[in-house]
Amino acid sequence: MTRAQALIAYVAEHHPRSSRGLEEARAVNPEAWDGVAEQFLSWAEGVWGPDGWQARCVEAFVVFSNDVIMSQARYEADGHYESSSFEACNAAVYSQREVMDDYLWGVFITNFCWSHHMELSLFFRDRFLARLPGAPAIVEIAPGHGGWGVWALSNRADARLQGFDISPSSIAIASSIAAAAGVGSRATYTLRNALDLATMPTASADAVICSFLIEHLEDPGLLVANIANLLKPGARAYLAGAITAAQVDHIYEFRHESELVAICEAHGLRVCETLSVHPRRFLPRARFLPRSMGLILEKRG
Amino acid sequence: MSTLEKLTEVMREVFEDDELVVSRSTSAREVAAWDSVMHVTLMISLERAFGVRFKSGNVAGLKNVGELADLIDRLKAGG
Repeated sequence: MTRAQALIAYVAEHHPRSSRGLEEARAVNPEAWDGVAEQFLSWAEGVWGPDGWQARCVEAFVVFSNDVIMSQARYEADGHYESSSFEACNAAVYSQREVMDDYLWGVFITNFCWSHHMELSLFFRDRFLARLPGAPAIVEIAPGHGGWGVWALSNRADARLQGFDISPSSIAIASSIAAAAGVGSRATYTLRNALDLATMPTASADAVICSFLIEHLEDPGLLVANIANLLKPGARAYLAGAITAAQVDHIYEFRHESELVAICEAHGLRVCETLSVHPRRFLPRARFLPRSMGLILEKRG
Repeated sequence: MSTLEKLTEVMREVFEDDELVVSRSTSAREVAAWDSVMHVTLMISLERAFGVRFKSGNVAGLKNVGELADLIDRLKAGG
């Protein structure tokens, strides 16, 4: 039995309510799903061991997914996200080791176990990673679990990566996943606020990855300015964000895809490609369509 | 009306099935429409019906209707 098959079986036995979502994610592209799931789960097994990874990953995924749907239901009722302060989210979530550990492993699994995030993962792999220049120096802003950057390093043996995150949990988990993937010697993770422009290098990156940070900020323009500052002229970035998609720590409420495009264009970045995706199932009588959007950006010369 | 009876009423409404029969051992395996999205829809409806507020972490792992009824009773009692 492959790890991907073991995951499906574990979910069916312990969390049958989540089986349908898993089937939808695999149906996006069964062959690709089997490959991506196997790769990500092999890293999880490297971290948690052959007897521990299923329970650790699935339990975190089920709780995280339930949290997200619950937040979306409250957003539907209230008409606005429940959080408005980054400092409050930092105190309640990002700096709390136990909360963040579950949160990050849950998010890690959504990369291939949510159908729309599986679509986004393939967009990232096929349209961004596949087109990086030779020997790229990659900066990952807020790597979280680190899976995106580790995937880049796994696909590109000539790449090196620097990651910056404000969460100690992120640094620990991303480092452990990089080690489990055998790319730890090419990845450096540093505890730092990547939005502090004065401490970040300028025009040094061949590529920037920033996945699902922008909606967690009060001022998304600051992040985009930082991405533009990091990139060499002509270099590319992958940015992902959430649109009318609530989470307990989502702050900036993007309503339309054009808002993300406009903010990038306003900060010296050309929008090369975009992909907006949404879940297959919604809350009954929902007024908001929760979306995730990936953007491939290029620093204008 | 007992917690289980009221819970059954809410479940019939949420799953749009007037014939739904529920016992303490009923789980998602016996209710075809009870997926992760409908689970949250059910929780929100139960919050309104019983005047309680669930924490997400407490409802994600509920195995059956009995565990759900017990949780509601604990919350109603202030637990």
